[in-house]
Amino acid sequence: MLKNPYRLSDLLMTITVWFSAALVVGAFFWLLSDLALHGIAKLNWSCLVSAPENAGRDGGIGPILVSTLLILGVALLMTIPLGLGTAVYLSEYSSGALARSIRMSLDVLAGVPSIVFGLFGNALFCIWLGLGFSILSGGLTLACMMLPIFIRSTEAGLTAVATEWRHGAAALGLTQAAALWHVLLPAAAPAITAGLMLSIGRALAETAALIFTSGYVDRMPDSLSDSGRALSVHIYDLSMNVTGGDQSAYGAALVLIVLLVVINNVAASLADRFLSQRITTS
Amino acid sequence: MSEVGDSQKIWGWILALCMAAGLNSAALADAQKLVLTGSSTIAPLALEIGKHFEKLNPGVRVDVQSGGSTRGVIDARVGLADVGMASRALKQEERDLIAHRIAMDGIGIILHQKNPVKSLNDDQIRAIYTGKITNWQQLGGEDRKITVVNKAEGRSTLELFLHHFLLKNPQIRAHVVIGDNQQGIKTVVGNVGAIGYVSIGTAEYEEAHGMPIHLLPMAGVPATVANVRAGRFPLSRPLNLLSKGTPTGLSKRFIEFAQSAAVDDLVTAQYFVPLAR
Repeated sequence: MLKNPYRLSDLLMTITVWFSAALVVGAFFWLLSDLALHGIAKLNWSCLVSAPENAGRDGGIGPILVSTLLILGVALLMTIPLGLGTAVYLSEYSSGALARSIRMSLDVLAGVPSIVFGLFGNALFCIWLGLGFSILSGGLTLACMMLPIFIRSTEAGLTAVATEWRHGAAALGLTQAAALWHVLLPAAAPAITAGLMLSIGRALAETAALIFTSGYVDRMPDSLSDSGRALSVHIYDLSMNVTGGDQSAYGAALVLIVLLVVINNVAASLADRFLSQRITTS
Repeated sequence: MSEVGDSQKIWGWILALCMAAGLNSAALADAQKLVLTGSSTIAPLALEIGKHFEKLNPGVRVDVQSGGSTRGVIDARVGLADVGMASRALKQEERDLIAHRIAMDGIGIILHQKNPVKSLNDDQIRAIYTGKITNWQQLGGEDRKITVVNKAEGRSTLELFLHHFLLKNPQIRAHVVIGDNQQGIKTVVGNVGAIGYVSIGTAEYEEAHGMPIHLLPMAGVPATVANVRAGRFPLSRPLNLLSKGTPTGLSKRFIEFAQSAAVDDLVTAQYFVPLAR
């Protein structure tokens, strides 16, 4: 095979692979350049810090950016500890019927349409728990949506860690908790980071679940119990509901993409640093 | 060693979060807050009116949430909202609420600009929407299939449309079901054979800004904002604020402000039609 690398089947294979990759990258750049072309004129520093005016046609997106980050912050604060805990339980502690039913419910939850989460979050957090339309309600609802993705990918990462590592840790006299903290979680770091990024992506793109929980108010939030409009809700409203809001929608969408890239990189480097520290200091 | 430090940090965060939430809900009780929910058509207008109301009344906060007219009715009824928003007249069984009109909106039938059909009567529109006429050729147009664009259940434009044409929703043979006005316009723009119905203010604006659509006259009356204001256009709807019983206090002041001439420019800026005074 090495003597004749340009056999027809190999050539076809190469072309197919290259074509697929080019198509994916092309689609992304098409989308990005379309957004940039329409949206760049709308963007400047004052637009990022000032409040929207005239239903979002004029003014900026300052309060909306703050609300978006707060909602995401609340969601991550809930998702990361709960998700890590559940994933560890699934991979390290249980293999019985309970684990099977947890896995099944997580897989079903991961496929539930977001509007269902929105109505659920509205009923549970806004009305029953009395949080009202608030950043807290929105963040908690998002956490419900992010948990299945995060848990399943973290669990997959933990399961993939070779059993020898666990034996090695035990042989060195590490407690189960220490082995988890110093060996298993750091070893599963790439999967955890990937799950985190997927969850953040889903959260930032979410519209339907947030209209009914964190709401529509575009004022600068004073606290987590204020209603605050997320960037994706703002884009949806501008493009679907506000006559003449398209320009601003493009601008906001461009900001959303940039925000996604920045947050993903920050999250990835934080997770890397935190988890690799475990291995070196232990 | 560092293990202890890190877990302390995490607990610190959790504690801080709880405290922030607790403190803030205490602070919130002092502010006077007015909650509006309902029609996504009215929401952007109500948001603007709310901002002006906040400026005139320091210390007052107006929170606007969208979600549809029927939601506005339900929330106003059970008290989840101080004031509901509905972009239609109240139904018979909703008369426990009081409607306060703040503006008018007309609904116009739109076609793609390349469609040569320039007018349709009520019977023809009824036949198109019930699937009895399926090609523009039958109406003097080109040989092209008709794409029927209908609104989603719960939309007040749908209810007004059905009411005017004496139709029931299950009778309609829709090819595309849409939610908001902008989506309706975008659907017709993308399909030369499409017919849809949207808010006249929105359609007039988009037509003037180069979107390839045209508005059909209804019963000989051109679909213009001016005709809606004068009450001449047959397919028009009121934009209402809803209150449970006679409004009092903050709700009363807000509703009076929303009905005053002071908001006319805000109404016009959202492509609606101010009340005739």
